[in-house]
Amino acid sequence: MDYRQDFPIFKSRPDLIYLDSAATSQKPQVVLDLMDEFYKKRNSNVHRGTYPLSEEATEAYENARKTVSSFINAKHSHEVIFTRNATESVNLVARAYGDAFLNKGDEVLLTKMEHHSNIVPWLQLKDRKGIVLKYLDVSKDGRLIFDSKLITAKTKIVSVTAMSNVLGTIPDLKPIIAAARAVGAKVLVDACQSVVHMKTDVQELDADFLVFSGHKLYAPTGIGVLYAKADILNQMPPFLGGGDMIHEVFLDHFIADELPAKFEAGTPHIAGAIGLKAAIDYVNKIGFPTIQKIENELTEYTLSQLKTLPYVQIVGPKDMVARGSVVSFVINGIHPHDIAEGFATKNICIRAGQHCAQPLMDYFEIPATARISLAIYNTKEEIDTAVTTLKEVYKYFNP
Amino acid sequence: MDLYAQNILDRYKTPFFKDKKIKADLKRHEANHSCGDAIDISLVTSGGKVADYSFTGAGCAISMAAADMMGDLVKGMTEDEILKLTKDDIYKMLGIEISMRRSKCALLGLITLQNAILAEQKKPLRTWGDYDL
Repeated sequence: MDYRQDFPIFKSRPDLIYLDSAATSQKPQVVLDLMDEFYKKRNSNVHRGTYPLSEEATEAYENARKTVSSFINAKHSHEVIFTRNATESVNLVARAYGDAFLNKGDEVLLTKMEHHSNIVPWLQLKDRKGIVLKYLDVSKDGRLIFDSKLITAKTKIVSVTAMSNVLGTIPDLKPIIAAARAVGAKVLVDACQSVVHMKTDVQELDADFLVFSGHKLYAPTGIGVLYAKADILNQMPPFLGGGDMIHEVFLDHFIADELPAKFEAGTPHIAGAIGLKAAIDYVNKIGFPTIQKIENELTEYTLSQLKTLPYVQIVGPKDMVARGSVVSFVINGIHPHDIAEGFATKNICIRAGQHCAQPLMDYFEIPATARISLAIYNTKEEIDTAVTTLKEVYKYFNP
Repeated sequence: MDLYAQNILDRYKTPFFKDKKIKADLKRHEANHSCGDAIDISLVTSGGKVADYSFTGAGCAISMAAADMMGDLVKGMTEDEILKLTKDDIYKMLGIEISMRRSKCALLGLITLQNAILAEQKKPLRTWGDYDL
């Protein structure tokens, strides 16, 4: 099955080789169509209009929440909060939960392979509350090292990625979550990279919080998700204040609305939520077994081709054990920007830089990496072109 | 593959001013963290003018070549003249088209140099917003 034809960008740019889906995925026609249809036929605000059109918009928006809820197997759909993106979701937790429940000396455990979005909100909480940040280590081959001693009686939150955006590593979260449970710490899972590649089941994981962005999941930019257990969301104070999140407002106080409205101040990205629903329906229709088969084949092929080039060092797992379709690499003497520039001459999009993971770069003592990330619309032929181009880049700098 | 103009490639591979040992009286470190370029510039000043120039760093061909070519440009210049240098002066020096995505690569050396002087003069430092990228 050729999924490439579902993505209109490849029709308008037939020569495009897009190997940067970990930054943002391309969007299938079904997502664009459903959003378009909303604006053309059902556009109105949600939760407020006293007319049928608004009721339709509200139904579409809340339907999207139900789709997300069953996609991640949440117990209740009001445990799904729509945000702008995963970054906002982490910030929501650090602000609303962190400010209310963490105190000076309490510990938050992260890993050295986290994206800045799962580091900086906690550094900000450290500045506000005097909490202590600890980090699980990463091995030289890019695996997470779970040292259970770092989870102590003082640990209040463990916040960890389900798949590294640089290394592709998929850490085993189960023992980490079990150890967190044992000391009563809450667990946040950053599913930003993993959510498009594998089944997410918040109940099986027993995660307290789980975050992801829509735009890496074939959905539009500007829509993200925070999942949290209802009892925790109920205990938390609201994050942003404004319309829609309130039950009652007086001149000197307010009463917050119930879930999920409590955490969705202001008019939400209605069309974005609808686009996210369409994207999830699209992914469900293909199914994760098929998605994984395609992506694993592509990733394995990419790794095997890169390994034939003696000057390429892969940063991250070199085998297919517990890894996703993100492959970072460096070449001694050629800066990743120059590699990406070489790729750009052939219409190939790869990412070069620190990938919002400066602590990880510092740990590996490299300034940056070049990164190939793959999705269902990629092909082996594209990887062949990329590898041929890489050889040309090397030859250009080493004639 | 023809990636960069020959002058850029030459100065990247065989720099004149990189890792040159000088007795600097002005030093400054700047970095573009998103792309992973970092640079340290050292200057020797004499009679209010730049007498010698050196830099160390790690970065792409454009950032390193630009930092190296800047040595030729600024030797003999006064601090005021250096502070007046603009984006266009550097692009002219490079002699190639610089796309928006490479503008910070091309100008990392300039911002480092200008901030070295501004820091010494205890004046507000420049940020990327000052360069009209």
